Amino acid sequence: MLELKNVSKIYNPGAVTELCLFDSFNLTVKDGEFVSVVGSNGSGKTSMLNIICGSIPVSGGEVLIDGKNVNGLHEYQRYRMMGRVYQNPAAGTCPNMTILENMSLADNKGKRYGLSFGVNYGRKQYYREQLSTLGLGLEDKLDVKLGALSGGQRQAVSLLMATLTPIDFLILDEHTAALDPRTAEIIMELTDKVIKEKRLTAIMVTHNLRYAVEYGTRLIMMDKGKVILDKSGEEKQNAKVDDILDIFNRISIECGN
Amino acid sequence: MLFFATTIDGLQMGLCFAVLALGVYISYSILDFPDLSVDGTFPLGGVVCTILMLKLGMPALLAILISFFAGLAAGAVTGVLHVKFNISKLLSGIIVMTALLSVTLALTKLLTRTGLTTTIFSFRSENLSGIFSGKAAGLLGAANRDYMILIIELVFVIAVKIIIDLFLKTKLGYMLRATGDNEMLVVSLGKDSGTYKILGIALANGFVSMSGALYANLFSQYDNSCGSGKVVMALASVIIGMAVFSKIRFMSDTLAVIFGAVVYSLCLNYLVLVDTNGIYLKLLNAVMFAIILIFNDKTSSFVSRRSKLKGGNAKC
Repeated sequence: MLELKNVSKIYNPGAVTELCLFDSFNLTVKDGEFVSVVGSNGSGKTSMLNIICGSIPVSGGEVLIDGKNVNGLHEYQRYRMMGRVYQNPAAGTCPNMTILENMSLADNKGKRYGLSFGVNYGRKQYYREQLSTLGLGLEDKLDVKLGALSGGQRQAVSLLMATLTPIDFLILDEHTAALDPRTAEIIMELTDKVIKEKRLTAIMVTHNLRYAVEYGTRLIMMDKGKVILDKSGEEKQNAKVDDILDIFNRISIECGN
Repeated sequence: MLFFATTIDGLQMGLCFAVLALGVYISYSILDFPDLSVDGTFPLGGVVCTILMLKLGMPALLAILISFFAGLAAGAVTGVLHVKFNISKLLSGIIVMTALLSVTLALTKLLTRTGLTTTIFSFRSENLSGIFSGKAAGLLGAANRDYMILIIELVFVIAVKIIIDLFLKTKLGYMLRATGDNEMLVVSLGKDSGTYKILGIALANGFVSMSGALYANLFSQYDNSCGSGKVVMALASVIIGMAVFSKIRFMSDTLAVIFGAVVYSLCLNYLVLVDTNGIYLKLLNAVMFAIILIFNDKTSSFVSRRSKLKGGNAKC
C-alpha cells in the first residue's frame, strides 16, 4: 500500500518565483489497484510521481510504503521496490547495449552486480519467451543494440525490463505520449496485460482520457495540486470519456487554458 | 634509416601509450567522462614505479602492477569530487591534476636519482636480470633489442586489453557501461550510479598510472614533465580508434583504441622529422587533434544519418 500523507511541495521557496504546488496532499493507493491519473499540464501529476519515486524531495508530509516512511530513502533505494516507465522511450534502456545485455541487467535487479559473467546464457530462453509475449518479433533480435530499435519497440522492452523482477509498484509516466497512435495502442494493451498477469499495483499518468477510462480500476483527475475527481469500482466502470472530458474542459476554462 | 628508426620509436611509444588510451577509453568512451586528471596520474605512476624499484628493489613488472593502485586512488578522488560534491567533470579533473603536480614532485624528492638500471625491458641495459634469462636475451642479440621491447610491450598491452574486455563483460562492467549510457537505468535498477562513476574513473586512472610506469621503464628514466599533454594524446588516440578502426568488422573497441594510440604516436614521431627544431611541434599536434575531431564529427553525423534512414523502416 502506498500513502501520501499531508504532502506539501514548494518550488523555489523564498524566491520571487515561489510556487506552492501541493499543500497537504493526500492519496492512498491500495495493493492491486491500477490508478489512472489525468489532469492538465502543471496540475502536479508528474511531480506526484517524482515525489513517490524520490526524484524530488518533499517540503513537508510523508510518503509511506506499506506503512513505512520512505522519506529518508534515496531515489535508487526506492526503485528496489518499484519499476518505472518514462515518457521518453530512450530512458528505460541502454542504447549502446544489446537486447540480451539489457535484459540481463534488468534480470539481475535486486542482486549484486559483481564480477560474475554479465549474461547468464541459461536464462536466454526465458528472455526469448518474455520478449515473444510482446509480439514484436524481438525474440529473434537478441543481439541487436537497443539504439537501433524504434521508439515503440524500445518502450515495449522498457516495460518488460521494468517488470522483469518482482516489484511492488509500477509507475507509468505518460509512457505512450511519445508514440504514434497505433503503437501507443499496442503498448497500452501490453501494459494492461503485464499488470494483470503479474498482479501489480500501478499508477499511470496519461493525457489520453480514453486510456484513463478504458484501463485501470481507479481514475483520478488532478488540478492545481489537488485531486478533484476520484472514481473507483463500479463508478469507474461506468465512467464515460465524454463526462470526464466535460469536467476536464470546465477546469481548463477556469485556468484560462 | 632515420625514417625506419622513427617508425620503431613511434611503435614503442605507441604501444606504451596504448595502455594510457585503454584507461582513457574507460573514462571517456564508457563513462562519458572527459577526465583531465590523466595529466597528473600518468607521471604519478612513473614516480611510484621508480620509487618501488629503486628504494625497495622491487622487480619491474611487480612495480608497474603496483603503480596501478596509485592511479586508482587518485582517480577515486576525482570521482568523489564530482559525484559527492557536485563539482563539474572538467574541474574535478583539473583539481586532482594540479594537486598531483605537487605530489609527484614531493615523491621525486624521495629519490636521489631517477635513472633505472633494471627495467621490464632490462636486456636493454647490460644487466640481464629482467623477465628474460641472460641466455635468451643473448640469443636474441643486441640488434633485436628494439623488437624485443615491442614484443614485451605487445604482450603487456594485449594482457591489459583482455582484462578490460573481460571486465566489461561482467555484471559490474555492464553497470559501468549502463552508467555512461543511461544513468537513469542504473538508478531504476536500485543502484547508486555515483558509486559506479567513482569506480570507473578510479580504474581508468589505474591503467593511466600503469602506462606512466611503463613509460619510465621504456626510457629507463623517470621524468617529472612526462605528464604534460597526455590528456590530449589519450583522447586523440581513443577518438581515432573509435572513429576509424572500430568501424572495421570484427574489431573490438579496445583493439581499435590500441590501433588509435599506435597510429597517433607514429604521426607524432613523423612530425618530429618534419620539424627538427621542435618549435612547432605542439602547434602541429594541436592542428592534428583538431583535424581528427572535425573528421570524427563528420563521420559520426554521417553514421547517424545513415542509421536514421535505416531506422525509418523499422516497424513496431
